[in-house]
Amino acid sequence: MLRRTALATSALLIGALLLTSCTASSNDPAPSGEADPNATLTVRLSLEPSNLDIRHTSGAALEQALIDNVYQGLVTRDGDQNNEIVPALATEWTVSPDGLTYSFTLRQGVTFHDGSALTADDVVTSLQTAKDDATIQNSADLANVASISSPDASTVVLTLAKPNIDFLFALTGRAGLIFKNGDTTALQTAENGTGPFRVETWNTGQSLTLSRYDGYWGERAGVAQVVLDYIPDQSAATNAAVSGDVDVALEIDPELQSQIEGTGNFTIESGLTTDKGILAFNNQRAPLSDQRVREALRLAVDHNALAETLITAQPLNGPIPPLDPGYEDLTGSISYNPDRARELLAEAGADNLSLTLTIPNVYPGTLTTFLVSAYADVGVKLQVKQVDFSTWLTDVYTNHDYDLSFVRHVEARDFGNWADPTYYFGFDNAEVQSLYAQSLATTDAQQSSDLLAEAAQIVDDQDAADWLFLSAPRAAVGTNVANFPKNSLNVRLPLAGVTVASE
Amino acid sequence: MTRYALTRLGLLVLGLVVASALIFVSLRVLPGDVAQLVGGTQASPDQVAALRESLGLNIPLWQQYVEWIGGLFRGDLGTSLLTGTPVVTELVAKAQVTLPLAAMSLIVALVVGIPFGVLSALGRRHAGGTALSVGAQALAAVPVVWAGMMLVVVFAVWLGWLPPQGFPRAGWNDPGAAFRALILPAVTIGVVEGAMLLRFVRSATLQAIGQDYVRTAAAKGLTRTRALLRHGLPNVGLSIITVLGLQIAGIIVGAVVIEQLFTLPGVGRMLVADVAARDLPKVQGELLAVTGFVLVVGFVVDLLHRLIDPRQREAS
Repeated sequence: MLRRTALATSALLIGALLLTSCTASSNDPAPSGEADPNATLTVRLSLEPSNLDIRHTSGAALEQALIDNVYQGLVTRDGDQNNEIVPALATEWTVSPDGLTYSFTLRQGVTFHDGSALTADDVVTSLQTAKDDATIQNSADLANVASISSPDASTVVLTLAKPNIDFLFALTGRAGLIFKNGDTTALQTAENGTGPFRVETWNTGQSLTLSRYDGYWGERAGVAQVVLDYIPDQSAATNAAVSGDVDVALEIDPELQSQIEGTGNFTIESGLTTDKGILAFNNQRAPLSDQRVREALRLAVDHNALAETLITAQPLNGPIPPLDPGYEDLTGSISYNPDRARELLAEAGADNLSLTLTIPNVYPGTLTTFLVSAYADVGVKLQVKQVDFSTWLTDVYTNHDYDLSFVRHVEARDFGNWADPTYYFGFDNAEVQSLYAQSLATTDAQQSSDLLAEAAQIVDDQDAADWLFLSAPRAAVGTNVANFPKNSLNVRLPLAGVTVASE
Repeated sequence: MTRYALTRLGLLVLGLVVASALIFVSLRVLPGDVAQLVGGTQASPDQVAALRESLGLNIPLWQQYVEWIGGLFRGDLGTSLLTGTPVVTELVAKAQVTLPLAAMSLIVALVVGIPFGVLSALGRRHAGGTALSVGAQALAAVPVVWAGMMLVVVFAVWLGWLPPQGFPRAGWNDPGAAFRALILPAVTIGVVEGAMLLRFVRSATLQAIGQDYVRTAAAKGLTRTRALLRHGLPNVGLSIITVLGLQIAGIIVGAVVIEQLFTLPGVGRMLVADVAARDLPKVQGELLAVTGFVLVVGFVVDLLHRLIDPRQREAS
């Protein structure tokens, strides 16, 4: 701790020195420089993909780097417009009144990066393969598709077995990405997409370089090259920003933020995400199967204080985040009350309770420290078991062997996990399952959203878990950079519209 | 000498075989598997099972080991589960960062350790020598990570002389930039390792000063310092070679840490990422290569010892 303080102090000092040296020696950064079409945009990211095969490999890092930039589906989402569904490889679509038939009009003039033209056949086989091959990511999203056909060269029709209002949204995900039929590209290290950028080089353990695809069907990308610089270490990332190695740094450490701000070359931005910090209770295991215990654990946490402690977080008042349909601010359903928590624990006969929190070791210690002391205050001894993510997947996710667990659920529209009793939450409530099924089956968006909100209220009332916070990561965006996206950057990073001003 | 070398070589091979078995078994004890990671948090158990099969993970363990060992004899360390590329290819690529880094660190360690170790022993009754010794003691206790951060703050962020992190994307095609990128990491490892070496050299030198042959040489008219340099140091040199062998292992470990801190795409960073991804065929190949490297260093040190020290040769 001492060391850290010392370091922070010297960092501040140096930040100040830099500031003075900057103003003394260099010119002021051009406030509205001309966008340079030959520029390279360098973006610091923290998490690197393990390979480039987006069809078969999970992980938000892959979606962040490749979807919208390199690969595209028929439709995509606009994170900055509340995740609204917008056209991509389809120019328009119609949905039959019964919600079963989706007809897409294919965009003309689309080519893959190898030069070949996109055909309806490519679309049909891509989606059919994604449905049939269980090893393809999110294959289950297409399980409900009864048939995929192409009545003419510019139309693709998908028929569902039963209505699913989330289907279009599912097509914005990995299962909906379009690949060339019979492609022999080694997708683990190379690509052949239709996006505005192609993968130029991948230096594993270092960076991924994208270059503008000149044959792109839409408006050409604003920069000639994008370098995604993978720098996991926070202080290294800060140094990279301070010394001008990167134009944009995502997920910066708020404690080091002042150093970056001190350069005067960056503005700090914070957008919305669907990245939910969820403290899962093993609903199937005593004593957490007792709702009084679950409620007590929620009452013991001061969520506002936690968000302040974490800095890059805000309270998440319910299982659904603001960017998703069905969101309601459920503040007040539970508010910090350690006295009541102690009472409830006593009622449940859970005095001297000792619980284990299984948490992947990638999360900062601030969170666990906070929880340990909050629970100690109500007489619950919390043991923290740090594991690596792979172990977490086996122990918690697959074997459900845990009391409490914490991970960040980054996916949008994943409320279905509360309606699935086999999911690791182990939350089993017939009413929630029924409401969720109805919300999918209806063709009316408003009605669907209302049903979800109703289900979310029950999940919250039942204290199925504690929604600790919504991530609000900060990004340092260079003053030379324009049109950088804001929301959901941890899962989508569409960079085609970004421009960099010449010096 | 030949017989000794052959026996020693036999031991080296035996060491590698034992290491390979240990590496293989110990990695299998790790919980979690790559199929699960590839599947992620939205995959059903059926999907994970399908992935496991497609990745070839349901082959019996003994068969996996036999295939791996068989490949070793053909110089094939196996294939990465995640990227499908041969482990050897990736090792060669990453070694282009790690080996130069280790070599530069070693040079820094030698420059810091040997002259200053001797100086500190000679000046043990002066304030300077004591300061050197105390300073080395403090430096040797510094965690590599902290030393690295301090160097970055001063030389990269403050003075702006050297890059704070990263390696040029062109690699060694841009030799100047590549060299500059390795300076701070190498100094970080080298200074800490050099401080340890300094303390060793100091005590070995002090011991030599008290030896009869140094006293005899001094009695014959050489100054104490010259007697030490002419007669004492060659003997000290022998034990330094042994210590250096051990330090190379220390440098490799230091490189793993430092590559994280400086975001250098070397063997250490690759290893950490691959363990997290449970890409076991790749991890075992990488570990075996590193182990093999350290064992070979030990082998060379032993042979050198023999060659340099006539007493050991006569004994055999």
